[in-house]
Amino acid sequence: MAALVEMKQITKVYPNGVVANKGVDFSVEQGEIHALVGENGAGKSTLMKILYGLEAPTHGEIWLRGRRVEIPNPHRAIELGIGMVHQNFMLVPSFTIAENIVLGSEPRKGRFIDRAQAIAVTEELSKTYGLQVDPTARIEATPVGMRQRVEILKTLYRGADLLILDEPTAVLTPQETDELFMAIRTLVNQGKTVIFITHKLVEVKEISDRVTVMRHGEVTGRVATRDVTEADIARMMVGRAVFLQIDKPPVLRGRVVAEVRNLGYVAETGRPVLRNISFSVHAGEILGVAGVEGNGQTELVEVMTGLRPATTGEILVDGKPVQRQSPRRIRLSGVAHIPEDRLTNGVALDATIAENLVVDRYNRPPFTQRGVLFPQVIRKHAETLMQQFDIRAAGPDALMRSLSGGNMQKVIVAREFSAEPVLLIAAQPTRGVDIGATEFVHTQLVAKRNEGKAVLLVSADLAEVMSLADRIAVMYKGEIVAILDNGPELTEEEIGLYMLGVRRQEIVTKAA
Amino acid sequence: MRGMAKFVEPVRILAVVLIALAIGFVITALVSKEPAQAYTALLTGPLPRISFENGFAIKNINRFGNWLEESTTLILLGLAVSIVFRARQFSLGAEGQMLLGALMTAVIALKLSLPFPAHMLLALAAAMIIGFLWGLIPGLLKAYLSVDEIVSTLMLNVIALQLFDLLLFNWLRDPAAGFVGTAPFPASAVLPLLIPGTRVSLMTILMLIAVVVAWFLMARTPFGFELKMLGANRKFAEYGGVNTKRVIALSMAVSGILAGLAGAHLSMGLLKRLTINLSPGLGFEGIVVALLARNDPRWVLLAGLFYGYLRTGAQIMERSSDVTREVVLIIQAIIILLITAERLFPFVQQWVQLRRSRGEAVVEAG
Repeated sequence: MAALVEMKQITKVYPNGVVANKGVDFSVEQGEIHALVGENGAGKSTLMKILYGLEAPTHGEIWLRGRRVEIPNPHRAIELGIGMVHQNFMLVPSFTIAENIVLGSEPRKGRFIDRAQAIAVTEELSKTYGLQVDPTARIEATPVGMRQRVEILKTLYRGADLLILDEPTAVLTPQETDELFMAIRTLVNQGKTVIFITHKLVEVKEISDRVTVMRHGEVTGRVATRDVTEADIARMMVGRAVFLQIDKPPVLRGRVVAEVRNLGYVAETGRPVLRNISFSVHAGEILGVAGVEGNGQTELVEVMTGLRPATTGEILVDGKPVQRQSPRRIRLSGVAHIPEDRLTNGVALDATIAENLVVDRYNRPPFTQRGVLFPQVIRKHAETLMQQFDIRAAGPDALMRSLSGGNMQKVIVAREFSAEPVLLIAAQPTRGVDIGATEFVHTQLVAKRNEGKAVLLVSADLAEVMSLADRIAVMYKGEIVAILDNGPELTEEEIGLYMLGVRRQEIVTKAA
Repeated sequence: MRGMAKFVEPVRILAVVLIALAIGFVITALVSKEPAQAYTALLTGPLPRISFENGFAIKNINRFGNWLEESTTLILLGLAVSIVFRARQFSLGAEGQMLLGALMTAVIALKLSLPFPAHMLLALAAAMIIGFLWGLIPGLLKAYLSVDEIVSTLMLNVIALQLFDLLLFNWLRDPAAGFVGTAPFPASAVLPLLIPGTRVSLMTILMLIAVVVAWFLMARTPFGFELKMLGANRKFAEYGGVNTKRVIALSMAVSGILAGLAGAHLSMGLLKRLTINLSPGLGFEGIVVALLARNDPRWVLLAGLFYGYLRTGAQIMERSSDVTREVVLIIQAIIILLITAERLFPFVQQWVQLRRSRGEAVVEAG
């Protein structure tokens, strides 16, 4: 088998200085199913966008069937037989499936679109590749699984030999996932080649022939799938745990600050994301939440902070129920939140640092008195916090946009810590920030714990959780499968077994 | 850096205005036999002439009045648009709110009889309330049902216009008048005159108060802060605890109050009655003013005066030369294009930066 695609020494530096790919070598052979895995932000999507012509590499070469090619845009990629199915589908909801498939290169009869021909083409493609669709159904009336099949058929109609599927199972039910896998196998039997982006290891084992693992923009593994176990892949993804040196006095567990009882959350799509979650966080401890990303951690945090409504169960903060309350009410109950997605939730890029620092308290004295807002007080407040938290910026009136990632995170940390919470929820608090800022955040988290606050630390970085947490809850498929006391005898391998769903603790609820 | 941004922005807008005026002159030169004269009329027409020929006298005070009258309406509309645009809600409902505001004043003026200040104040209040309610509808639709405000406000404008015509034809119309319109409003419901020889009324003072109130609301109240945070990043505002649904609904409703006042100005200040085709499209001119002013009420005052000057000058030019006011529409369009191409300048900057950073990255890597 010859390499169909070879990407050599690909480096991608974004204008804001973020390095998404560092000298990546990647190759796919004709007729294989190749899994590309890595945590969010590992650089796998960027790499594929480069291959599909959506991003230009800063450096590096792409070779296709032994010839060097330039792919400046998706149009060229399609000409070369490369097709990509994105996570969010790009279909016209009011058009039929057949119309969507031929859109852009329609069969014509005179000046008009030949609808009968479009339907015939769709039926034939559908039969050849075993992708069941109803050509005359409108997209808006079809389920997600079928929309995805339409996207795949669309790329096949345009003559794709190499299909890039970007996290195709993220939106699918288990049955739909099974159907998709069958379809992928049919595709490969018909001579197509598939690149499958995912971070779900079970799927890697089930579907792929070979796997490339990425971490922090670099390739950390390139192996034949049958030669490795899920745990091996996980290790390549997460990396050797580099334990951080953090001085932590022994835990002085106090009262229960937060208690979660039988919490459940069903997404709008009807998929149960959180199931029967129970745990408690005590004053003076850090409870870490570990797990492969996408197992419900994000939703757990958002439900606890009021950004999503709990479907079932209770959340108590200092004994008072806060489930299904507004973010403001939950904040007033003493919950602070460092959000996972800094740029979406954590900051307003077009507002000033001073404004960002008061978004949770602008309506209270001293910032607002008798209904009047005092910008000077907001500025002063910002000056104090900028000094205290060592935020490097031109001044309190500087736009958030002008800050580096690390300094933005410091603004968030400054705001949330100065809110004097009883419960601090920190989600991926060091993602994408430099070493200095990481260290700073870690010290601050431990300081809060030592002060007697309750800290819930959710992180995909196992080393971070193991270095900081006093107890570790492991999430798998929306459930907490273990709550473990952290100590020298607890190993990465053991947590790994829980993370991958190989092992689960009996009666987890009692352990809480 | 920020100080410089503050300095650059007005300069940029001034440059845009000058470029637009220059292009306007070129076009005038192409269509007119006497372009200089026409353009002089456009640029100096609204100013009063001070004459010393037969002793001291001020001539053309009515033109000066036209300028202030026009600007008063435009500034009120500009404030209305600024409020929703600050919150990044693209409500285009000022037109409908203005029409209904005028309609309500007619109902109060003609169907009730009250003594002077009460009658006028009640009519003003009615215009503000209907504006508030007519803005609240798309606000609630957007906040709770995610109905796109551009679509809903445009449709509500059509409904408002039909309501206006319906009531005017069937209920308020004065059959004795030779045109479709109401009888003149009773003096008790007319805004008191400020400058004799013009139609500049109490509304110009109310407009100045509105500028101060709008500025205060946006810069010195928690609601103003919420507007800004909603506009900057809705998810962030929600995360911080802002009740974004309430703010979305209220932003459009509060904006409606000012548009309703603009309507009251047309009926109670300028026409002193209601007529069909009150002022089609005027509601949208508020967008130009808000864009020029970058949604800052203090700048709305200046932008409204400038834009009112241009529109008044256009009318004078049309009357006193062979150039039609369409030339001013072209200038208007150029201003809007250049101002809304706000990404143009930052884009050039980014491009330069990008090239620089690429160069650096290559050096580092190599």
